[in-house]
Amino acid sequence: MSSDDGVIGTNDDAASCKRYAVDKGYWNDPYISYMVPKSSSRKAPEISRGYYARVTSIQLLVEKFLRLTECRCQIVNLGAGFDTMYWRLSNAGLVPKGFVEVDFEQVTSRKCHFIKSKQQLLEALSGEDSEIMMNKAELHSANYHLVSANLRNIGSFEAKLSASGIDRSLPTLFLSECVLVYIEADSTEKLIKWIADSFPTAFFINYEQVNMADAFGHVMIENLKARDCVLSGASACTSLTTQMNRFLNNGWSGGDALDMSAVYRYLPQEDLQRIERLELLDERELLEQLLSHYCLVWAYKDTSNLGLHAISLS
Amino acid sequence: MRHGNSESYFNQVWSSQATEMGDMSDLDRQIEQLQRCEVIKESEVKALCAKAREILVEEGNVQAVDAPVTVCGDIHGQFYDLKELFKVGGKVPETNYLFMGDFVDRGFYSVETFLLLLALKVRYPDRITLIRGNHESRQITQVYGFYDECLRKYGSITVWRYCTEIFDYLSLSAIVDGKIFCVHGGLSPSITSLDQIRQIDRKQEVPHDGPMCDLLWSDPEDMQGWGVSPRGAGYLFGSDVVNSFCQENEVDLICRAHQLVMEGYKWHFGEMVLTVWSAPNYCYRCGNVAAILELDENLKRDFTIFEAAPQESRGIPSKKPQPDYFL
Repeated sequence: MSSDDGVIGTNDDAASCKRYAVDKGYWNDPYISYMVPKSSSRKAPEISRGYYARVTSIQLLVEKFLRLTECRCQIVNLGAGFDTMYWRLSNAGLVPKGFVEVDFEQVTSRKCHFIKSKQQLLEALSGEDSEIMMNKAELHSANYHLVSANLRNIGSFEAKLSASGIDRSLPTLFLSECVLVYIEADSTEKLIKWIADSFPTAFFINYEQVNMADAFGHVMIENLKARDCVLSGASACTSLTTQMNRFLNNGWSGGDALDMSAVYRYLPQEDLQRIERLELLDERELLEQLLSHYCLVWAYKDTSNLGLHAISLS
Repeated sequence: MRHGNSESYFNQVWSSQATEMGDMSDLDRQIEQLQRCEVIKESEVKALCAKAREILVEEGNVQAVDAPVTVCGDIHGQFYDLKELFKVGGKVPETNYLFMGDFVDRGFYSVETFLLLLALKVRYPDRITLIRGNHESRQITQVYGFYDECLRKYGSITVWRYCTEIFDYLSLSAIVDGKIFCVHGGLSPSITSLDQIRQIDRKQEVPHDGPMCDLLWSDPEDMQGWGVSPRGAGYLFGSDVVNSFCQENEVDLICRAHQLVMEGYKWHFGEMVLTVWSAPNYCYRCGNVAAILELDENLKRDFTIFEAAPQESRGIPSKKPQPDYFL
């Protein structure tokens, strides 16, 4: 078993939790059922609430970026897994010029298969005069691209972006959800710096662990290690400051970092009240502990003065 | 583990003909088995619940308990951590225990945990008191694990049925030497006196609202009066509410469980309300310590803090469920 197998498996876990929450009515995602089977096991309400906060807050930031750039932009989803964002945005009429999803080949080959075999996924990719090129683990269409790469290897990542027609002069949003934490901190720093050096106008959204130096964090590291999932990049997840500085020290001009407990309070109140009524939460402190060990970090580099600094949750 | 009809029929006949002595040695064997974290047969669960019901039905909604007693909070199916609790707190019957509910859900061994406590209750009725928590409910156990665990371990929901029927007989609160009021959650705006609690007809599923629900669901909060609970059931209650309740009922202290506290126990409003939490490393995730409160014959308080059982003593569950995170 390669050391990345446990990490690759995290996609299935996250996808299954998202499917479960969607089935329970936490948020709407008409596409997830085409990629993720119905969950065989029950998920605790705090897990569904946590995924709700993650999906909703990221969606909020992404939509603000798309509206600010009037969709004349690109999105690169690092370690995208079975994420359905492209289809959801397409449904909402918010399609960027280019949308690239990057993941391990074991993941992209399965996603390729789902897209190939599901008309509902395929039809969002096929414009009037566009053709879709596909091989076993990669797919290129007019706007949407699915490529395999190991993010530790910047050379191959760069080549895959070029093959996807990425235009470095366009405002580009990079997104990573529980991805960097699995990569050694020095590799991540190089990646973050390469992006800042290569894209004059860029926005980065990173969701992952934080406050990992306390008892809850230690238990998490050990529990995940027991399922062959090593948090190699945990050293950058010590605090909101270490999370933010990783960007500020590597070519990004500004940004913000909030733990998910704070993010939760920024979410639209009306919808929060709706989802909190879906299932009784037996223990608020456990949810608080979970939320306070994850964070949403965003950073910008705004050479063309688009006003990226104004993108926030409020 | 599924048992055929003929076998359970045999057990019923056998059990009804057994002598008191036979019952006792049977019970002792079941306790030993449960202490090894092995489930007992469905027919044995049925018989155990029947005996437990006879005992519990006689208990009041405010069960009187004599000090010395060791008061414990939530356990949540963390069987090996319950064994740690008995290791630091002493065994039944040598130590007199009061458990303030939430025996099941969340942990991997709710079946073994609840049945062990229930078997100890039947074996030593005057040395262990079990009161009801908000998880001792049909609705909640279907969300938080006990239902699924019964189905997984017995192949049917019969044992879940037996257990949830017994939940309805568990007392709602206890009073130690007339001075320390013990309840799983807290107070209710519909209750000012202990006598009002005594008037509740408790033999039912935990209702969605009303006094019985509040006792099992409410939390203390730094505020005055009553507030809306973020849990969606019960209330938040402030220090003035506690003051008047304690005065009216001549109670010195309200002792409750229900809320995870990372340090194992926590005082509220000076020393009027106490939270005791007895599930270390809650949900195998939280990294918290646990506590029990030892009250001596003069009600002098002494806390014992304990940690989760070491990994190597836990054995390996056949199909290991994994603690949940966002991945």
